[in-house]
Amino acid sequence: MPDEDIRAEGAGAGAAGGDAPAGDRVLELSGVRTFYGNIEALKGVSFHIDRQEIIAILGANGAGKTTCLNSIVGLTPPRSGRVVYEGSDIRGRSTDSLVKAGLVMVPEGRRIFPALTVMENLRMGAYLRRDRQGIRDDLDYILSIFPILAARAGQDGGTLSGGEQQMLAISRGLMGRPRMLLLDEPSLGLAPIVIRSIFDTIRKINLEQKTTILLVEQNANLALQVAHRAYIMTTGIITLSGTARELMSDESVKKAYLGG
Amino acid sequence: MELFLNLCVSGLTKGSIYALIALGYTMVYGIIALINFAHGEIYMIGAFTALIFSMVLGAFGLSGWGLLFASGTLAVVYCAMYGWTLEKVAYKPLRGQSRLAPLISAIGMSIFLQNYVQLVQTPNVLSFPDLIPDIAILAGMRGVASKTQFAILAATAVSMVALTLFIKKTRIGMAMRAVSQDPTMARLSGVNIDKVISTTFIIGSMLAAVGGLLVGNYGRQMDFFIGFLAGMKAFTAAVLGGIGSIPGAVVGALVLGFAESFAAGYVSSDYEDVVAFVLLIAILTLRPDGIMGSATTQKV
Repeated sequence: MPDEDIRAEGAGAGAAGGDAPAGDRVLELSGVRTFYGNIEALKGVSFHIDRQEIIAILGANGAGKTTCLNSIVGLTPPRSGRVVYEGSDIRGRSTDSLVKAGLVMVPEGRRIFPALTVMENLRMGAYLRRDRQGIRDDLDYILSIFPILAARAGQDGGTLSGGEQQMLAISRGLMGRPRMLLLDEPSLGLAPIVIRSIFDTIRKINLEQKTTILLVEQNANLALQVAHRAYIMTTGIITLSGTARELMSDESVKKAYLGG
Repeated sequence: MELFLNLCVSGLTKGSIYALIALGYTMVYGIIALINFAHGEIYMIGAFTALIFSMVLGAFGLSGWGLLFASGTLAVVYCAMYGWTLEKVAYKPLRGQSRLAPLISAIGMSIFLQNYVQLVQTPNVLSFPDLIPDIAILAGMRGVASKTQFAILAATAVSMVALTLFIKKTRIGMAMRAVSQDPTMARLSGVNIDKVISTTFIIGSMLAAVGGLLVGNYGRQMDFFIGFLAGMKAFTAAVLGGIGSIPGAVVGALVLGFAESFAAGYVSSDYEDVVAFVLLIAILTLRPDGIMGSATTQKV
């Protein structure tokens, strides 16, 4: 069981490997090309994610990782290629319809609504949901993971610290009850101890809520510790893929991304 | 002393009407960063439709409060449809283009609507009937404020409270605030931006229609051109308070109303428009973000 692996794993190497539940494909990109004006940011990207996997996309600044996520959720629609989510091609569909379908992104830089209270930020995450009881249950669950947010409930989002804002950003994403969660650079600009708790939470969500997670990170060490599999991206294409364990022991990966 | 009181009341009254129009400017700007220069025309259309509906319904025998509310409601609904259509026709196709494109389209719509009403309703100055019935308990206050002034203040207060509740308490109101703070994040939360924009235009137009109905009763005459100056003044009020800020629009409108009223009373009524635009120039020079506007909204 991959679940056992993750739970048992310590801070060090020993990631879960490539044996996550297979067969149930949640998301599949094939030959996705995205442009900013005439500049080709994604030059034919293909990868897939199965149900309840944690996948990391690693790469340097400007490799196209964020564009990749934006292309999936429809913020920068691809010019060609296929994006298949739960069996249907979603290329060109509006962002809000994808949120309704359980595909939720927590963007880079947290993007907390600064003049909305913490509670309102959380309610924005559940914007499309009508099940009052379910929303209340999810709120209780989230506040049990991040009790600090309960203490800050009435404060404006803009007054929170960076770490608290990242907790709020992930919580807001969870309030949409995603079946698949896209996380863009969740560790960016945070203190090591906060990063630890954020990544513990990512693992917890994956296990307890059975959420499929696509993680984009510059911090490859960290990402490979939680991910089952990873893809390495260089200037708009996937150049390497494998299980987290394989990539961690790969010499070229070590040299380029793991600092040694 | 009585002059001072009278000027206060008339400043408050003017300010209230400016506020009703200024809210439409500031809300649209808050959502899509567009100065909707055709907004003054919606207010003018509100005044015309209120007049037309009151004549039609009056002919059917309606009178008193019933006539006022029925024709007011119809004018509000009619203007809501105008505002919705205006956005769909003149601004939505230009979304994603340079910021100048919708601005030019707005000026074009303003000219078009003025000329359309001029053609259909004649360029003549029309007189507006006194729709507001006598209010017995106010008889003793005659020296300070007229029944029309009371009605304007009351209607404005009710509109403001309703708007505040809508923005603060409803789901779509929360989405409007979210869109004005971070449209991309609002989309990622599942907000349909088109719906929020339409709602904003509808609400702004409804408030402008209330303003049109009230101003008809106040000035008792109007023509197709009233939207231009009122629009400019309301725009001034919105900038004065800090464009994009809802409380700012109200504060800016009241400041403008009082300034004009005192200028007219103590200097000369020839100078009231001058005061309005001197204020605009002064605020743009000294405090470009307005009274309640904040520079932090540009934070990256």
